[in-house]
Amino acid sequence: MLDEPYRYLEAVSNRRDYVEDQLRQGSPVVSLQYDDGILLLTVGRGQRKIYEIHNHIALAAIGHAADIERLRLLATDAASVQGFQSSVDDVTLHRLTNFLLAPTVKREFEAVFSSPIIAKMLLVELNGVHCESQFISLNYDGTTQVDQKAGVLAGNEEIESVMRTHLSVPSQNISLQAAFELALETWAVGRHHSLQDNDNSNRNDEDNGDEDVIEKQQLLKIVQEAREQGEIEIGILDVPRRSKSKFRLLSTTETDAMVEYAREEL
Amino acid sequence: MMPSGDFLDLLKKNGYELHSDSSGLERVSKEAHLELTEGTTVVAVRYKDGVMIAGDRRATAGNTVMYDRADKVLELDEYSVIAVAGSPAIAYEIARTLEHSFQYFRRSQLQELSLEGKLRMLSRLIRENFPMAMQGAGVIPILAIYDPQSGDDGGGKIFFYDALGAQFEVSDFATSGSGSVWIKGVLYHLNRWGKIPLANMNENQAITNIMKLLETASEYDSATGGYNSRSSIFPTIKKITSNGIADLQAEKLRQIYEKSVEVKLA
Repeated sequence: MLDEPYRYLEAVSNRRDYVEDQLRQGSPVVSLQYDDGILLLTVGRGQRKIYEIHNHIALAAIGHAADIERLRLLATDAASVQGFQSSVDDVTLHRLTNFLLAPTVKREFEAVFSSPIIAKMLLVELNGVHCESQFISLNYDGTTQVDQKAGVLAGNEEIESVMRTHLSVPSQNISLQAAFELALETWAVGRHHSLQDNDNSNRNDEDNGDEDVIEKQQLLKIVQEAREQGEIEIGILDVPRRSKSKFRLLSTTETDAMVEYAREEL
Repeated sequence: MMPSGDFLDLLKKNGYELHSDSSGLERVSKEAHLELTEGTTVVAVRYKDGVMIAGDRRATAGNTVMYDRADKVLELDEYSVIAVAGSPAIAYEIARTLEHSFQYFRRSQLQELSLEGKLRMLSRLIRENFPMAMQGAGVIPILAIYDPQSGDDGGGKIFFYDALGAQFEVSDFATSGSGSVWIKGVLYHLNRWGKIPLANMNENQAITNIMKLLETASEYDSATGGYNSRSSIFPTIKKITSNGIADLQAEKLRQIYEKSVEVKLA
């Protein structure tokens, strides 16, 4: 089959459709900078989606749990060995993504005779020695997108584009609470479009009207419905944290307090 | 097979050996008149709020003072501190390996390594270093941990080891290093017949006693450094409580030293 370019391209195209279909329903992930670090947020159904990779690097992913686990361990192992044998300052997101994860994912995507990796990732790095904070999205085919102040992850590029538009990160610094509210709102926008996208594919592209504009109350309803089925997961890379590792997951108590505060504000 | 989260195994797979062949060390050191850097006094006591752990700052090679600002009290994670006595080259490597091992376990297995797991890891490293210890490059550490699971009363824990890696938990205090022989009896005396048992001391009382003990050790042991007023070098002292680890700053140590340790003759 590989001797026939057309059939190879068709196989890759089919593979793309298959993976995108699998990822379509993934709960979006939002990440942005705030006063004291970087916040990552999603709403999940029990399966953890936000992970610590190294002292100042975190990862969030959507997709098949087994594939996420494999890539997460690959990154964790490489970062840990490099950090020990050389220096933690030599563990950078740029190196992890461009020299390890992206080539691995690309290779597996193009190996049409084996099962593809069903996963997309958002990797974030807090003020590295060599660069400013970075947000790198790694697609299922190994392509990457680099952002400086915020990053998003969703079932497909259209949804991500809508989320990016909504996620207009203020030029001045914002508090953790404000970052949380903006991230949750952006997540709800992504979720709304993800559900809409699914409905549309079921309805064979019926007219969907002016559904890009979403009222705040509608967003709250989406969040509330999602919370009834799962819970908000928040990881932060926290600069003031005394530990060398800047990552920590917020507890349910902390998250509930932030939700409560946001609700009172409305 | 399930990933074990064992960082030493991961390092070995990547070609790293913590303990090199030591068979020629004794001969080489004799022929080259090589003096191994060593010596120290480290001490840990349980006090009212948790554990306090400290060490002098001197590193010696034979009769030569190599360095007077050595840090022998090293943080491993948010609630664990190791104080190392013996050959710094091995001691620092063991401490660094432990720190990275605890981190790696947490990152790869998505849970903290248990207290027993941490203790076994240190035992294993000391045991693997035994051939080096027989050649004069040994390490006898003290491990101080605050276990949040044990509650406010029994959270502070102190462990010491022998050269083969056997681990012992002590209820009130432990000391190690060449100067420890001069203060072990004093510690026993203080705990048994002092005005307040060590475990009931408040923070300032614990600091005062530790500074007195280290000064006593420095008086009799040339490998232990005392307070150097000209360079303002104080011992390293850390406390581990339910809030985690905190350094006791030089200014606080200076105030306590001048008030309670230094005896001014009228």
